[in-house]
Amino acid sequence: MAPSVDYYCPCLAASPHPPPPHLPSSSDSFHPLHNLFFCEECDAVRCNRCVMVEVSGYYCPNCLFEVPSASVRAEKNRCARNCFLCPNCRNTLSVVPSDPPNDGYDRMSPIVSTSLGEPPFFLYCNHCRWDSAQVDITFEKPTGLAAQLQKFEDSAPEALEFDRLKEHFEPFLRASSSSSAVTPSSSHHHSNPITAAASSALARDIPGVSKYNPLSRSRSGRDKSSHKADIPDYKARMEVGAAAGMGAGGGEADLEFMRHLETVAEVATVEQRWVNSWVSSLHTDDLKPLRIPLQSKKSKRCPSCRHILIKPEQKAQSVRYKIKLVAANYLPAISVSLPHARAALETMKRSLNRSAAQSEDQSPAAAALLAGKTYSFHISFTNPLYDPIQVRLKKAQAMPAPGTEGAGEKAKRPPFQVNLPSAAFPIAAFAEAWEYEDDEDMFGLDDDDDLDGLGRLQKDQRSKTRTVGVVEKRANVTVVAGEVILTKESRGNVKFNMLVSYTYRSDDPDPAEENAMGTPSRHASSKPPEMKNFSFYTVVDLGTIAPREETIHDTDM
Amino acid sequence: MPPIRDKFTIHSKAVVCQDVELKGDITVGAGTIIHPKATIFAIAGPIVIGAGCIVEEGVILVSRRKEVMRIGDDNLFEIGCRVECPSIGNFNTISARARVHHTVRISSYCVIGAACLVVPTEDEILDEYTVIYGPAAERRIWSGRGKVQEAGLRRKQAEYLKEMLPKF
Repeated sequence: MAPSVDYYCPCLAASPHPPPPHLPSSSDSFHPLHNLFFCEECDAVRCNRCVMVEVSGYYCPNCLFEVPSASVRAEKNRCARNCFLCPNCRNTLSVVPSDPPNDGYDRMSPIVSTSLGEPPFFLYCNHCRWDSAQVDITFEKPTGLAAQLQKFEDSAPEALEFDRLKEHFEPFLRASSSSSAVTPSSSHHHSNPITAAASSALARDIPGVSKYNPLSRSRSGRDKSSHKADIPDYKARMEVGAAAGMGAGGGEADLEFMRHLETVAEVATVEQRWVNSWVSSLHTDDLKPLRIPLQSKKSKRCPSCRHILIKPEQKAQSVRYKIKLVAANYLPAISVSLPHARAALETMKRSLNRSAAQSEDQSPAAAALLAGKTYSFHISFTNPLYDPIQVRLKKAQAMPAPGTEGAGEKAKRPPFQVNLPSAAFPIAAFAEAWEYEDDEDMFGLDDDDDLDGLGRLQKDQRSKTRTVGVVEKRANVTVVAGEVILTKESRGNVKFNMLVSYTYRSDDPDPAEENAMGTPSRHASSKPPEMKNFSFYTVVDLGTIAPREETIHDTDM
Repeated sequence: MPPIRDKFTIHSKAVVCQDVELKGDITVGAGTIIHPKATIFAIAGPIVIGAGCIVEEGVILVSRRKEVMRIGDDNLFEIGCRVECPSIGNFNTISARARVHHTVRISSYCVIGAACLVVPTEDEILDEYTVIYGPAAERRIWSGRGKVQEAGLRRKQAEYLKEMLPKF
């Protein structure tokens, strides 16, 4: 696995320190940079887990029609127009006319092309060539398919049953909701203060979500009122066995079908069936086209100050955002690489002359981290701000000592030592490409890094200069080198937490400090620039240690 | 191994572009279009391509057996596919980047989906109207509906290419 760097989001936790990275549960709080947001008011990193999400609009992914929120509920979250999903391969269905009748000829017939085609029309999947005529769904007109299908859907036995259920319970729901709507949370007796707090938290007002009515939950058996005695027994429209016989699913008919199966392909897979709200038939031939479910555009807010972090544009087609406060615009992008792995890759490519993909499969053998050796790694920082910054690195936690653990514990914590550059190093500001001079090579960052890393490494080996420290500075990227020393008994992943703190100059206290627009004039007249400090934790994962063959222990396995 | 003698028999109505790599004994039927950068290797045995076929860019057709590799009429080989079957029928569509092994014999009206690998270990004949789709190369049988429209479309495509390609 390639070495990677993930960022830590405290998610409103009390302590800002991240969990030790060797614990499997710690991977939850570390995210790659492109998943993170940054709140300017609170000056904090936010991730997808702690951010508040609201729906800003619904749209159909096929026809890109924006559905107003009122009709979303009426249409049961599906597109009301002609958009359908193939039940076989989940691809979008298209409406096609049937073949013209004179298809007995061969090549000599002239190519007939009427613009509309002939009825009856049916739905056709381009990917797996499924068509709705197999389930006897055809249409007379190519438009307004939803209305034409509505009749089929409404007359299905499940829909009729559900409607009867709703009619049966509706008067009771209305009666009890009017009586106990005043204090919904007091109808439950909470002996445990934790659940009482949770219940009141659930009843809290959330923008965009209608108030949660706990009545439907109470009806399932916790209700102590006397309403239960008033409901007469519900009589189903048809017996369950009869419904199964009609192909609705469950019961003897399914058993018979399974006994006489010829190929597995006759049975509909779970993925094809679980979209429905109720049990449907097992036969593949019975699968009906599904309406395309609507998708939503979400806007995200900071949980503490409720400032909007992400706000997409209203139009369904546009993928841009009106407000986009992503962490990549504020935090330096960090990437880590192992120069010796790259060197092994290069030599393999040159010697065997194969494609890069194949050599990458074989290079892990040569580039793996072997226990007992010392490796240097390069961390490159890219500065997104328009001002230069000073970065300081620090190891977050000491790793536990090896070998002296209890007999029952597995040696899952790889003992290794990491040396990071301790001095602060500057990174230049971000500027447009044409502002840099020609001889400074800004493009081909990776290739140059590669060769440069190689070149420096060789120079280091020859001249034995320091291996920990700044390796190179180019455009708005600085590469520093660190060292990791692996002991002979280390196992597992080489992961360590790193605290990155950087200071940058902010020109004015308003939350626009990194967009240095018009700052020269403002800078000269307003208050002197203040240095602001920001720090965040990251986890650096250098890969898995491959054990050396002589030192494979068979203890504690 | 005897040297490969090139012998091309190309119909006057076929369009074979200049950059095509042809090797061996190849026969191309009427109305067939072979795009540039296609590769047809008739190494082990001769290849006979029928009428109205469209062979797009990057397609590799290799014959692996000594017997003639017969390709029928009106087939469409999309970009980047690799076909080694000993026999192919009519009106098939082999989509982009698909790979078909030399153990398979394709009959007519089949559709091999994009990036599908049809590599069975034993000899196999694909029934008519077989559709292979999805990343796991699942199969199902097409009902054949819409095949006349598709045939019309294919013919229109071939005619259009026949007119436009020589002008490039």
